[in-house]
Amino acid sequence: MNPPILLFTGSAAVVLILLAWLLRGPRKIAQRGADPFAEEEFERRHVTYFPQVLRALAGEDLEYLACRGTRGLTRRVRKERRTIVLAYLAFLRMDFLKLWRMARVIAVMSSKVGAAQELERFRLGLVFYVRYELIRFKFQFGFAPIPELGSLSDFVSSLALRLDIAMRELSERAALASRLTSSLDGRHLNTP
Amino acid sequence: MRSLPLYVLVLWGCSFLVQLVVLVLLLRDGNFRKLPFFTMYTAFNICQVGFLAIVYQINGMSPLTTETLAWVSEDITLVAQALAATEILRIVLKPYQGIWGLSWRLLAGTSSLVIVLVARSTHATWAWAKWFDLNHGYHLTFATALLACLILARYYSIPVPTAYKIILIGFCFYSCTELLINSIFRAVFYNKVPGHQGLWQFSTIFSFVVVLFLWVVALRKPLPVENRQLALTSDAAYQRLSPEINDHLRLLNEKLLRLWKLEARSN
Repeated sequence: MNPPILLFTGSAAVVLILLAWLLRGPRKIAQRGADPFAEEEFERRHVTYFPQVLRALAGEDLEYLACRGTRGLTRRVRKERRTIVLAYLAFLRMDFLKLWRMARVIAVMSSKVGAAQELERFRLGLVFYVRYELIRFKFQFGFAPIPELGSLSDFVSSLALRLDIAMRELSERAALASRLTSSLDGRHLNTP
Repeated sequence: MRSLPLYVLVLWGCSFLVQLVVLVLLLRDGNFRKLPFFTMYTAFNICQVGFLAIVYQINGMSPLTTETLAWVSEDITLVAQALAATEILRIVLKPYQGIWGLSWRLLAGTSSLVIVLVARSTHATWAWAKWFDLNHGYHLTFATALLACLILARYYSIPVPTAYKIILIGFCFYSCTELLINSIFRAVFYNKVPGHQGLWQFSTIFSFVVVLFLWVVALRKPLPVENRQLALTSDAAYQRLSPEINDHLRLLNEKLLRLWKLEARSN
């Protein structure tokens, strides 16, 4: 097969596969992207569980259990706490995804979108995903240092809070704009 | 025309009939007002069938002239196809001004890249089969640009009305199958299998008939009226929030990296 034919055949096959992927599971996508600002969802941030996670990461309990010589129990507690930390990491990921999706909604609502900003965000999402998976894998073998995890959690929470305020501000503006439009419609003042 | 096998002629007739059905459906519920370019594309396709029937009937015309005329008529419909697809994308994405602006840039970027790739890979054989490669290049550019826009719509969770989605998918599917069929026939069957010409024509017409049936399904109901008016936010809001979010996401990534490094060190 000569190079042009290879290029055309390969590209057409890739495009067809991507097309099939696009057709797959639109409902799931629609549900996920339905309302990233749902109050209940937003309230349930990982910060709620932070004291428990800190407790799970504290070494004193494990040291105490080890001193008492109950090795089986120590192992079990360590295993259970590792599970908790992994769940916490998953919540962290959820927070990241929420912010990421929120940024996309802001882009959709905007009248002008910067290609560089959007590409950068897409790249950041990919990088986060890879790093998260690596760290999660690493956690299977031991706990992460507590101060690092704590600052990470604080960081995500403060950003979410600030975005929450910014989004409310945007919604109020949008509602005001829509009210203005409907009142103008009512008076037949719309220009063609 | 007389040299074409009977099964190809039958399928050609079917294709002509289904194209007429598509045109009737477009003219029926005033759909042609919503999609003037798509209606024009369908009309061009029907005219092309008539034109080719006449060209193939003329005795004494050299094969080269016949082939050139056939390719020229094909090129006209391909231009109409590009306009029709852009028209639908515009209807779907226009309410989202920012995303529409981004789509335009993406379309231009993807198309340029594919054109460069195609030109680079075919320049050695350019004189040998220019029409064929031009056609291939067009279909590849068209399919990738369309797919890029569909992916963009999915990424931003932009709702695409089913009828429009079916029409766009039909376009993309047709371009891909056309590419695959042409490439495979050229590589595997060309001058090796007797009657390969008829088989090739049957395959390409068949894929088009499949797409036409999809469009009949899409057009059986009146097309949705697109009067979505989004309460768009000001540019300032995006300019303020977007870099801020990106900065935070970047910092979060850096934190993750540090966590990874510290964790690795602690092990």
